[in-house]
Amino acid sequence: MKELVRLEHVHKMYPMGRSTVHALNDVSFVVREGEYVAVMGPSGSGKSTLLNLLGCLDRPSSGRYVLGGRDVSQLDDPALSEIRGQHVGFVFQSFNLISQLTVLANIEVPLFYQGLPRRERHPRSRELAGQVGLGNRLDHRPAELSGGQQQRVAIARALANDPLLLLADEPTGNLDSRTSMEILDLLDELSRRARTIIMVTHEDHVAGRAHRIIQMRDGQIHSDIDRQRPEPSG
Amino acid sequence: MKVIYKVTDIVLLGFRSLTTHKVRSLLAILSILFGVWSVIAMLAINEGARYEAEQSLRQMGTDKFLIQSLKPPQDRGAAQQTGRALYYGLTRADHRRLSESLPGLLGEVAGHETRKFAQYGTRLVPVRVFGTDPSYLQLRGLRVAAGRFLSAADELRCRNVCVMTQSLARRLFGYEDPLISVVRLGGESFDVVGLVDTPGGSTPEVPADLVSNLVYVPASTERTRFGEYSILRTTGSFEAERVEVSQIIFHMADERAVLAGAKIAESILQREHESPDYEINVPLDKILQLQRQRRLWNIMFFAIASISLLVGAIGIANIMLASVTERTREIGIRRALGAKRRDITVQFLVEAVTLTTGGGLMGIVLGFVVPPIVQAVLKVTAILSPPMLMVPFLMAVAVGLVSGLYPAMRAARLDPITALRHE
Ligand SMILES: Nc1ncnc2c1ncn2[C@@H]1O[C@H](COP(=O)(O)OP(=O)(O)OP(=O)(O)O)[C@@H](O)[C@H]1O
Ligand SMILES: [Mg+2]
Repeated sequence: MKELVRLEHVHKMYPMGRSTVHALNDVSFVVREGEYVAVMGPSGSGKSTLLNLLGCLDRPSSGRYVLGGRDVSQLDDPALSEIRGQHVGFVFQSFNLISQLTVLANIEVPLFYQGLPRRERHPRSRELAGQVGLGNRLDHRPAELSGGQQQRVAIARALANDPLLLLADEPTGNLDSRTSMEILDLLDELSRRARTIIMVTHEDHVAGRAHRIIQMRDGQIHSDIDRQRPEPSG
Repeated sequence: MKVIYKVTDIVLLGFRSLTTHKVRSLLAILSILFGVWSVIAMLAINEGARYEAEQSLRQMGTDKFLIQSLKPPQDRGAAQQTGRALYYGLTRADHRRLSESLPGLLGEVAGHETRKFAQYGTRLVPVRVFGTDPSYLQLRGLRVAAGRFLSAADELRCRNVCVMTQSLARRLFGYEDPLISVVRLGGESFDVVGLVDTPGGSTPEVPADLVSNLVYVPASTERTRFGEYSILRTTGSFEAERVEVSQIIFHMADERAVLAGAKIAESILQREHESPDYEINVPLDKILQLQRQRRLWNIMFFAIASISLLVGAIGIANIMLASVTERTREIGIRRALGAKRRDITVQFLVEAVTLTTGGGLMGIVLGFVVPPIVQAVLKVTAILSPPMLMVPFLMAVAVGLVSGLYPAMRAARLDPITALRHE
């Protein structure tokens, strides 16, 4: 499969007073299209930092990041925003829906910033809501939904722009085990349809859904186990 | 196309977020509304005052100027004393000389004024009797309200006819018809042949109660019946005055000739008169002066009223800053989903400008009720004009841009990761 993500000797340092925190320390790996990767590791080991970097929310302090064949490690803010809008989908632990907006409007936000006209946005977000099983909740506000439903909306939103890369930072962290299963099933389903997924998690049974598990420790990759090559998409 | 969709959508987004904080938005709009309204009110009142002042000056026309005899200051003692009568003012020689030497002179008319008592039945009213020619009507810009003005025949035959102001006629005759009445002036009987409106413009040294008590008679009649002497009764004594010509009006070819003529007249009279016992009155000059003065007032009023707009602007900035803080998370989410800094800036700017534009529009609408309210409450004229409405409105829009810019930029500069973690 084609190479989608390539990190080469990536470092991320945060200045903290006089000292610096080495959140990522010489991280290199490659993710191919269609892979389903779980990133694990103790708290503070740099998982979120890594994911933010992969999602172009941040830039490496040094090293190279190539996304879809394009070196994005030194792009400026507008260019990074453009890449996030076009090629990245985020799913957060705390859902991060916009509370004033309806389900439909929330799903539309990425399309909105891509400049898609309203009449094209509507059917697309309606279809996505249907895919995550919320076709009958289109006009609800996030506060009127359960946690699992909110996370479904977030996943639909992350898929709206048909991203190269779906990034999920502890997507089941705020959910009970039954709802977690539903969300994981949804991610499995996406993976089967050749969506590339990188997911941060603390839990083994969650990571067990992925094909590959990267263990982080102190900002470094401790282990990188390929459990099963992704099946070529049909 | 893509850009246009996006811009209109972001503008709509800015609108929509206002409706989620209705009370807050309303208060912000109100603060701008009152600012705009007070600017409009100030400008309109000032304009009304200017119009009223100019109106009386314009009555005579800007192509004329007027020279009046003026009692010189007593302490200088420069006025010629002939016997016990005070002799001062313009002379017939002045009149002749000026008529011959002013370039661009189209016509001129002189008048002589004496103080008399007008008597009708038992009513006795102090009046100013003004002897002049028929052309005075046109040159002074008087309006005949009833009957006619003095005629050439009146002048030729030294007729005892008079024209008086409407207000005087009302005081003398009450509800009787003045035009069939006979009034006694200084012991002579006069037929009332016409009524005019009280002339506007300044009348120096005329006591307020005499301003509108004006009776016009033919110059020949006035000269032969009353002469050049006025007897003034002051407390405890009599005082006599002698004036040859009380007033001359010069009708000039154009406004340039008016200003030049007034200067020449000034230098001629300065040579002939030892003391300043005359006054040159140029309505055009006064109007120009008035306009300059009003402009100054306008600037001042404007500055004062702008302070209320400034207060509104601070309020808007405050609200927008609060809104940015409150919505930090939302900003982070939007950034993560592809919003550029510029998109965020526009969103918040649109909010601020929408608030102030809304306030500005309402201010304009309420501005239309300024004249009637001012008229009813303050009893003064207020006049609206398009720039008076547009300028405060544009100021309101500008206030939105300026006060919204800093909060909007602050929102745009937020680091997406930090913003996402906010709360
Ligand atoms: N903005 C920042 N400024 C300073 N230090 C930071 C910043 N972001 C992260 N760090 C530090 O970088 C290290 C890695 O943080 P990161 O959030 O990536 O950990 P994590 O593996 O996601 O942990 P958790 O499982 O608790 O979410 C931590 O030591 C953290 O304190
Ligand atoms: Mg984390």
